[in-house]
Amino acid sequence: MLNDKNIYKPIRAKLTNVIDESPLIKTFVLVPEDKFSFKTGQFIELSVDGIGEAPFTPSSSPLVTEKIEVTVMKTGYVTEYMHMLKPGVYMGIRGPYGRGYPLESFFGKEVLILGGGCGLAPIRSLLYALEGIKDKLVKVILCYGSKTPADCIYKPLFDRLNSTEKFEAHRTVDKADEDWNGSVGVATTLLNKIKINIENSVAVVCGPPIMMKFGTIRLLELGYKENQIYLSMEKNMSCGLGKCGHCMMGEFFVCKDGPVFTYAELKNTPDIWK
Amino acid sequence: MKPILNELRKIRFFDDYHEKQLETIAGISAIKEFKVKEILFEQYDELSDVYVLLEGCLSLGISLAKEKRIRLGTLEEGQLFSWSAVFSPYISTAWVMATCPTKVLAIDAKKLNLEFKKDCEFGFKTMSKIAQTISHRLSDTRFQLMNQLTI
Repeated sequence: MLNDKNIYKPIRAKLTNVIDESPLIKTFVLVPEDKFSFKTGQFIELSVDGIGEAPFTPSSSPLVTEKIEVTVMKTGYVTEYMHMLKPGVYMGIRGPYGRGYPLESFFGKEVLILGGGCGLAPIRSLLYALEGIKDKLVKVILCYGSKTPADCIYKPLFDRLNSTEKFEAHRTVDKADEDWNGSVGVATTLLNKIKINIENSVAVVCGPPIMMKFGTIRLLELGYKENQIYLSMEKNMSCGLGKCGHCMMGEFFVCKDGPVFTYAELKNTPDIWK
Repeated sequence: MKPILNELRKIRFFDDYHEKQLETIAGISAIKEFKVKEILFEQYDELSDVYVLLEGCLSLGISLAKEKRIRLGTLEEGQLFSWSAVFSPYISTAWVMATCPTKVLAIDAKKLNLEFKKDCEFGFKTMSKIAQTISHRLSDTRFQLMNQLTI
C-alpha cells in the first residue's frame, strides 16, 4: 500500500531484529509504523536516513502484515551501512512497487522454482505465499544452487519444505567442502532428479543473471513454453515509479511493468541477461 | 535378463524406446554394484561400458595430480554417464566414485556400437540422446565456470 500523501515519502519502520544468514548476508526484521502490505514478487525501497535507499524484494510472507523481513547482501555503500545497523533504529520503506507473481494462474498446476544465490530471498516470500494456497496447487518443487555450502541461506527452510505436504526442496553447491554430502553442480543439474508434468506446470526463475540465462535455456529445452516461465528481473530499480528510467529494459520499466515477467514478454528484449 | 528389462523400463533416458530395443540393450547389459569410495573408473581410463545410475550416489570430477581429486558434480538416478565408451578414443574425461552403496547398469559399449550398425534408427536415437547428455553437461560446466568468474 503506497503512502498516499506523498509517493516519495517513506513509511517509518523500526528495525527489531537482525539475523546473520551468511558472512555477507543478513535479514532485517522491520515493524512498519503504518499499515503496510505487499504481494509476493513486488519490491520495496528501503532507506537509511542520511545514507540512501536501495530496492529489495521482501523475503517474508506476504500474509504477515505486522512485520516485514528483508534479506540484504553486502554489496555497496547503502547495504554496507545497513549491515552495521543494530535493532532499535528506524528505517524507511517506500512501496510496494511493481507487478508480483500472478498466483491465480498457478492454481491447479505444479510449480517449479529454480533459484540461485541471493535469489532465495524473494523465493522464500513466494514459498510462504504458495504454502498459503497449497490446497489449490498440485505440488511445488524448489531447486536451489549456491556457490558453497556456507553461501546457502535459510538452511532450515529446506527441511521444513521437505516435511510439508505437496512441497519438495533440493539444493546443490558449485563447490563442495569435505562435510558436504549433497548434490554438487549448478542449479540446473537438479532438474535431472525431479519428476514434473511439464505440460501442467509453471516455472519460476530467480537468481543472478547467469543463472537466469542458463536456467531459462534449460527450461525451454525441457519443453516449457515461453509463457510458462516467470522471471524475476530484479535489477536497477531506483524510483520505483517508472519515472527515472534507470531500470529500463527494452520497452519495459522493470520497476513498474515487472519485476516479474514471463519469458514470452521479454524474449525479444536485447541484453535481458546483463 | 528380466530384472535388467524391468530396470530399463524405469529409466527416463529410455522412455521412448520400444520393447525390442529395450530387449537388445538388456541383452548386452549387466547390473554392477559399488561400495562407498569405490572408483568406477579413473580419468583417462579406457572405457568399455556405458553406465546408467540406478540407485545410490556418484561423484564425478577431474584429477589435477595423483591424490588430488576435484569434485565437479554429482550424478542423479537415471542419468547416463561414461559416454566416452562409445566414442573413439574411448578414454574417460573424468573420474567417477561411489559416495554411498551404488547400483549401476553397465552396457557393453562395443556390443552397443555393433547394435547401432544393425539398427540405424536405434543407433541414431541413442547417439542423439547421448549428444544431448553431453550438451547438458557442457552447458552446466559453462554455467559453473561463469559462476566462478562472476560475483
